[in-house]
Amino acid sequence: MLRAALRSLLQHKLRLSLTLLAVVVGVAFVAGTYIFTDSLKRSFDALFEAPQPDVIVTVDAPDFGGGGPDAAPRETPTLPQSYIADVAAVDGVAAAYGLVSGDGAIVIDSDGMVVGAAGPPARGTTWIPDEAISPLTLVDGRGPQGPDEVALLESTAEAAGVEVGGRVRLETNGGSVEPLVVGVVTRGVSGSDGSTLAVFDLPTAQRLLLDSEPVVTGIQVRADEGVSQDVLAQRITAALPEDVRVQTGQQRSADIAERLEEAFQFINTFLLAFAFIALFVAVFLIYNTFSMLIAQRTRELALLRAVGASRGQVRRSVLLEALVLGILAAGIGLVGGVLVSRGLTLLLRAFGADLPSGPLVLEPRTVMVSLVVGVVVTLVSAYVPARRAAVVPPVAAMRDEVSLPNRSLWVRTGLGAVLLVVAVLTARAGLASVDDGERAASLAGVSALAALVAVIALAPVAGRGVLWVLGAPFSGSVVGRLARENGRRNPRRTAATASALAIGLALMTTIGVIAASTKASVATVIDDTIGADFVVFGAKFQPFVPDVYQAVKDTPGTAAVTFVRQVPITVDEEQSVLTGVEVAAFPLVVDFEMQSGSFADMALGDAVVDDATAETLGLEVGDRVEGTFVNGEAPLRLIGVYTAAGPYVGFVTGINTLSSIGSRELDSAVYVRVADGADPATVRTDLEAELAAFPAVELQDQASLKEQVNGQFDRVFGFIYALLALAVVVAFIGIVNTLALSVHERRREVGLLRAVGTSRPQVRRMVVLEAVLISVFGAALGVALGVVYGALLQRVLEPQGITELAIPTGQIWMFLALAVVGGLLAALWPAITASRLDVLRAIATE
Amino acid sequence: MTPAARATSLTKVYGSGDTRVTALDAVDCEIAAGRFTAIMGPSGSGKSTLMHCLAGLDSVTSGQVWIGDTELSTLSDKALTRLRRDSVGFVFQAFNLVPTLTALENITLPLDIAGRRPDRGWLDTVVDTVGLRDRLGHRPSELSGGQQQRVACARALASRPTIVFADEPTGNLDSRSGAEVLGFLRRSVDEFGQTIVMVTHDPGAASYSDRVLFLADGRIVDEMASPTADSVLERMKAFEAARA
Ligand SMILES: Nc1ncnc2c1ncn2[C@@H]1O[C@H](COP(=O)(O)OP(=O)(O)OP(=O)(O)O)[C@@H](O)[C@H]1O
Ligand SMILES: [Mg+2]
Repeated sequence: MLRAALRSLLQHKLRLSLTLLAVVVGVAFVAGTYIFTDSLKRSFDALFEAPQPDVIVTVDAPDFGGGGPDAAPRETPTLPQSYIADVAAVDGVAAAYGLVSGDGAIVIDSDGMVVGAAGPPARGTTWIPDEAISPLTLVDGRGPQGPDEVALLESTAEAAGVEVGGRVRLETNGGSVEPLVVGVVTRGVSGSDGSTLAVFDLPTAQRLLLDSEPVVTGIQVRADEGVSQDVLAQRITAALPEDVRVQTGQQRSADIAERLEEAFQFINTFLLAFAFIALFVAVFLIYNTFSMLIAQRTRELALLRAVGASRGQVRRSVLLEALVLGILAAGIGLVGGVLVSRGLTLLLRAFGADLPSGPLVLEPRTVMVSLVVGVVVTLVSAYVPARRAAVVPPVAAMRDEVSLPNRSLWVRTGLGAVLLVVAVLTARAGLASVDDGERAASLAGVSALAALVAVIALAPVAGRGVLWVLGAPFSGSVVGRLARENGRRNPRRTAATASALAIGLALMTTIGVIAASTKASVATVIDDTIGADFVVFGAKFQPFVPDVYQAVKDTPGTAAVTFVRQVPITVDEEQSVLTGVEVAAFPLVVDFEMQSGSFADMALGDAVVDDATAETLGLEVGDRVEGTFVNGEAPLRLIGVYTAAGPYVGFVTGINTLSSIGSRELDSAVYVRVADGADPATVRTDLEAELAAFPAVELQDQASLKEQVNGQFDRVFGFIYALLALAVVVAFIGIVNTLALSVHERRREVGLLRAVGTSRPQVRRMVVLEAVLISVFGAALGVALGVVYGALLQRVLEPQGITELAIPTGQIWMFLALAVVGGLLAALWPAITASRLDVLRAIATE
Repeated sequence: MTPAARATSLTKVYGSGDTRVTALDAVDCEIAAGRFTAIMGPSGSGKSTLMHCLAGLDSVTSGQVWIGDTELSTLSDKALTRLRRDSVGFVFQAFNLVPTLTALENITLPLDIAGRRPDRGWLDTVVDTVGLRDRLGHRPSELSGGQQQRVACARALASRPTIVFADEPTGNLDSRSGAEVLGFLRRSVDEFGQTIVMVTHDPGAASYSDRVLFLADGRIVDEMASPTADSVLERMKAFEAARA
């Protein structure tokens, strides 16, 4: 049987090679994902080879706030500088260095532009003049000393276009400076996460990053020779007050390694999801190929049965073919994985991630997974066709015209109908429980899955009708009629081919609906809440110096100008944000809706809170709220509740209250209302001129803000589209494959058509039209499913802020157009083959 | 009157070197218009090849072929296709019909391909002659072998071609169905003046024709006018004896 199986593989090599390609693409995606993440992980190893302090002392609290547009700027808790001396006095300490590091040193390039992407932070840190424990290594120049010197991270220096000896402009929490670049340093990892790093000596770091008292964010310790990290850590713990955290270098490494591992695990899972989508699509292709090959070989199989092969043997011989194919595909896929991993790197770079480059890592695990995935997927897809092959009766060998009995579609249709009902019911249940986010999401997920399987099950029955309708405009010509009937004559095959495309496009459309809805929701939020004509924000969500507010206020044509400051606050262990505003001016420029209490009555120590936070924390008007801040605690008296809207969440108080708590003198935003009668365009030009001195702030209006936010969403969704595209490509390979096999199956019919006078272009048109009908059918299924589930998902995500439903009609038409073009391209080769068929060979009785 | 089809020193060689086969060896022949010509000969004698070359389905190695006034060797594939569509009708031994089309659609296929409207009167005549009026909406899989061949005959005649070629049209049929098909071909010659060339092994079938050409080893070795089953059988026996 092995010989028979191998021979059959060789005979059908052309048709099988397309099937092979589909599995290869899927396996390559899986292998590529593993190679990519393993290599990425390896490139971070250098991080652990760099020197480390033996002991690190920090405050026993995490960083506060950080990152996002609706969170307060990140602040790092600090220790008194006097602790350095206390640590240095501990027995066994060779040296102790104060460290200040945190956000707030935005690097400006020579064109006056902010270096680095909008998201990742602009960090500053302190130079440790001790090679043995400094995680930073000089690659050029020397360490910074004194107020006018800085060292830059290699990637930062490159991006800013400065070298040792030049000067670089920095917008810091302590104002604008332009120190001399005296060194370039590396962390041992070539790429970066997009953040920038400026390195100062301790007093300079304190002045520029903290703008406050002699405090540090940490102390780094070198141990005397022969003193173990653990012992030293214990001694230091004993010598210091309780609220500090003392960590050994090893513990710190382990913590970082664990965090990295988690991040890689996430990336890996995320990418694998898309790989498995592509593989799932490939299943349809393999199923189709094996079904068709078996249909063609019915007589041969019957002959095998007639000469005494058992059903089991026939089934096994087909599965053996699948096994060989799977192993082959896995092998090639593994090689392709290297390309995919390179492609992922390029793709991520194209979408703005600065990845380190290092050698490719091929773990034995990757080989195993690829092999298993390739073989299992192929075997599973070939199983049903193999079973059908086994039921070919031996008498079929004696018959002239043979075809496999086409089993009725009743069972399949019934199953599809049941699943459709399940999908509708779970969707309704999901909608009913939108308030319980997790439950709604899982119900929606179950519904989507049921609907997908239902659509696949119902596609053969639906296909006959849909193709009849789709083909109607072409039924005037015999070529059109033939194309339509060819598509309809094998409903299972057409359905499997179309389903493959439907899966890819359903996902793409769902993403499209969510993307459009997200953008529409953000646009609504911006419209509703930013009553101001202009807003000034800091680059990288960094706060900025009050001089910006002064500059804006002095600009002619502005009627009302106000600023807000934000600090992170923790209440009952819940992180939130406390926004300090000018009580009189704030309501003039920002639309703010109070549900209870009066905003205007705000006195020192008073605050209002949004309804959602009030509910979470169980707060009521009149309550005393115990707030924890970066460096202390303070009570707030609740005098009102407002409606949460977009960026305004959390606690809002008067600016005097915020100052009494001890916030930094840094603003988060400045809002501007243009005076009546002033021309906004002129005011904008004037404002831009005033703000030219502050490169690290951005002047926005509603339109530009939407544009910026949309740009960020486009990147994220663009990346997802790119990953889904592979599944769609596999689906189109499936169309090529189905058509090539169909043309081969019908070569006699094509020969007959040619003999009675059908021209080559007519034959080509017939095949192309069939392909386009199938792919439009698949696309229509996918788009319909995608729109329905996109809409459902939007409803489920409503509590998360996706309040608007937007259907991207243009994009959906584009998908359908893509299906037409894809169908055309997929049909090209089969159509040419069909039109070149040798008429005589085709009609010759075999 | 010009013959419907004509060949001069028609030679067809397959393969080269060791596998070289001369299927047709300088054949000269004329197919008279409005007549029913049968081609007979032993298996491998070149009957199908001659027919394919005459019909423009196959290229010739040397020599010339005319259909009506058109010489085929100079025609492009496009022109040949058009010629087959408009001037030639075919009936093959089996697999004559497109399975996805109904009987009627199969009959009008060459006309539909050409984008021509069928002549209703003629179509009715043809359909009635083959006696398939009540089966026109059926798919080939719902028709018997004989019915399928009759549909094929109707298709060959529907476009009123200059000439109809039939390669063993009754080869797969029982004698009664065969007689139906042959009777129909005969009538189309008598009543409509159709030109028909038919390849057959069966002396009985040949007796429906006006003239029989005998082929052996790629040459026309004999011909017979107004054949009967017996006279054809006799002649064939004589060949066998001569070859032995
Ligand atoms: N495509 C081909 N390639 C090579 N040789 C061929 C080809 N077609 C036919 N022949 C050879 O040409 C010769 C004539 O073949 P042809 O099919 O014309 O015979 P025939 O008279 O129709 O026979 P039959 O009665 O069996 O149908 C045979 O020797 C055959 O082997
Ligand atoms: Mg023959």
